[in-house]
Amino acid sequence: MAMASETTLVTTRNESGTKWWTRFLDPSEGTLAVLLLMPAALLLTLIIVYPVCRLIWTSFQNLSLTSGVPATFAGLENYTLMLEDPVFWETTWNTVLITLITVPGALLIGMALALMANLPFNVKWPVRLSLLIPWALPLSFAGLIFAWFFHSEYGVVNDVLRRLGIEGVIWFNSANWAFAAICLTIIWKTSSFMALIILAGLQTIPRSLYEAADVDGAGRLRQFFEITLPLLKPAIVVALIFRTITALQTFDIPFTMTRGGPGTSTATLAMYIHQNTVDFLDLGYGSALAVVMFALSMGVTAIYLRMIRAKG
Amino acid sequence: MSSVSFRKLEKNYGALRIVKGINLEIADREFVVLVGPSGCGKSTTLRMLAGLESISGGEIRIGERVVNKLPPRERDIAMVFQDYALYPHKTVYENMAFSLKVRGIPSAEIKPRITQASEMLGITQLLERKPSQLSGGQRQRVAMGRAIVRRPQVFLFDEPLSNLDAKLRGQVRTEIKRLHQAIGTTIIYVTHDQVEAMTLADRIVILKGGEIEQVGTPDEVYNSPASVFVGGFIGSPAMNFAKGTIRGGQVMFDGGAGIPLQGHLALKPGGLEGRDVIVGIRPEHFMPAGEGHALSGQVQVVEPLGSDTLIHFALGSSMLTARVAPEMRPSPGETLSIGVDPSRIHLFDAATEKALV
Repeated sequence: MAMASETTLVTTRNESGTKWWTRFLDPSEGTLAVLLLMPAALLLTLIIVYPVCRLIWTSFQNLSLTSGVPATFAGLENYTLMLEDPVFWETTWNTVLITLITVPGALLIGMALALMANLPFNVKWPVRLSLLIPWALPLSFAGLIFAWFFHSEYGVVNDVLRRLGIEGVIWFNSANWAFAAICLTIIWKTSSFMALIILAGLQTIPRSLYEAADVDGAGRLRQFFEITLPLLKPAIVVALIFRTITALQTFDIPFTMTRGGPGTSTATLAMYIHQNTVDFLDLGYGSALAVVMFALSMGVTAIYLRMIRAKG
Repeated sequence: MSSVSFRKLEKNYGALRIVKGINLEIADREFVVLVGPSGCGKSTTLRMLAGLESISGGEIRIGERVVNKLPPRERDIAMVFQDYALYPHKTVYENMAFSLKVRGIPSAEIKPRITQASEMLGITQLLERKPSQLSGGQRQRVAMGRAIVRRPQVFLFDEPLSNLDAKLRGQVRTEIKRLHQAIGTTIIYVTHDQVEAMTLADRIVILKGGEIEQVGTPDEVYNSPASVFVGGFIGSPAMNFAKGTIRGGQVMFDGGAGIPLQGHLALKPGGLEGRDVIVGIRPEHFMPAGEGHALSGQVQVVEPLGSDTLIHFALGSSMLTARVAPEMRPSPGETLSIGVDPSRIHLFDAATEKALV
């Protein structure tokens, strides 16, 4: 009798113990997926979802750290203020213009660099390294280097122009020239990133397709437009998404080259957000500006993704 | 349609010689298969003919034209690649039309050509699909269709069946043969599969180490292999080889057994006396005991195939395989008594491994 009750006790313990441990050590596929995704999901919630929600909430508040007044709910006041703010419109236009100039510019130069890097060089590493260096260089470094390149007296650009018999330009005194210098710097800095993504895409195109096109009678140019370009489309779209989002957030290069000058003619939206939140400590208005930039980035990404889906 | 000729064709990669002076004449409308193991230079030879590889020496002619320096598009050839090389972003129709468009052929002419080729290959219903929506066999047919619409002087096939399963390979093989019978264009076909070579070719070119080992009709290379390599390469299961010595009009094996030389082999036994040889016997040339010349050995493994039985047995120090009637099922370890037709054995020189007779 005693033996029987002992056995029952052991069995019960085993059953309940087995169930708990089995679920933990040998989870179902769904449970395993949730467990594996959990750390990343928690991290994303902590560093992205929470700050974004907080940002949106702050954008509906009057919160200026210099006023000494506690935060109050302001509704859409920050947004209506924004619509009447000429600097907001100017910086937004500058940001859009930088995006419209530098993204296609970097795409074209990046494509050319990738095609060159994909040529059958005997030694490949110097080519790859020369692509990696501009990409690896911090943005502010690139801005400072190019600020010297475009320096009116000591800069290499004006020096070359003078040697060619062309009068140099005081780059940072003119809104247009300053803008051009910034755009050229951004294109130089970002085309290597484009090139690396396009190069990766190029290397996935089987050589036999070009051989088949050779046999079919297509020349190099036709092969580029009929084979290379259509098959590179996914890589190009990925590169465009990344580059457009970062272009909409342009800050470092104009900040280090011109500080947004002359006046606010080369200031970007990101610089204006920085000015409002860090310099003026107006967190409410700065947050509203940041929400607009966030919406702009999301909008562009959605358009690209829709384009892929439509053509896919 | 056109003839093709290789004269002293060479391909070197630095000091490495891949193709070592091949001479070959291929007649108009002929179906020639280049066959050999990996690295024998068969694909390189085909690619040199296509213009996809430069040549290091010698001459290639298509018809009367020397094409050594011509780019692929000017050689008037069409090629079916091992991986089919279909343009993944184009539909089947666009794939087939591409070469015609490039050559400036008007759309009014392109459409009937594609219709005709797709009907011939049974791919009419696939014309609007992309390659990713096709099975392996369908892709293979589209690749052939793309070649056919061109109406080139020569078709080149580079191991076109190697990505298909065994059943499909058999079906497509038949289709390729039917296609050649229908259009009659010169075909040069590369494969490592001797069954494809035997079933498709008018003539087989067997390559080894960048050199031609033998050229002949399927019957010639099967019945009169020029070397141990050819004997072992052509035929399935492979030819059996055993070392022996010619003594007194017989080939004697190391275990003491012998086979008298008969037929064409008996014509020069005097000249071969005392010579060390390699004897080649095809598995299918063994006979039931009591027929032919008797041999005996210990059975090692028996493999029933349904249509026939393979018996692996030891003769002296050599392992031989016999293909016999399905009802013959000896047990492993048993002493096998089996006959062999002495007139169908092959003799190769033990040193050079070349055929003696």
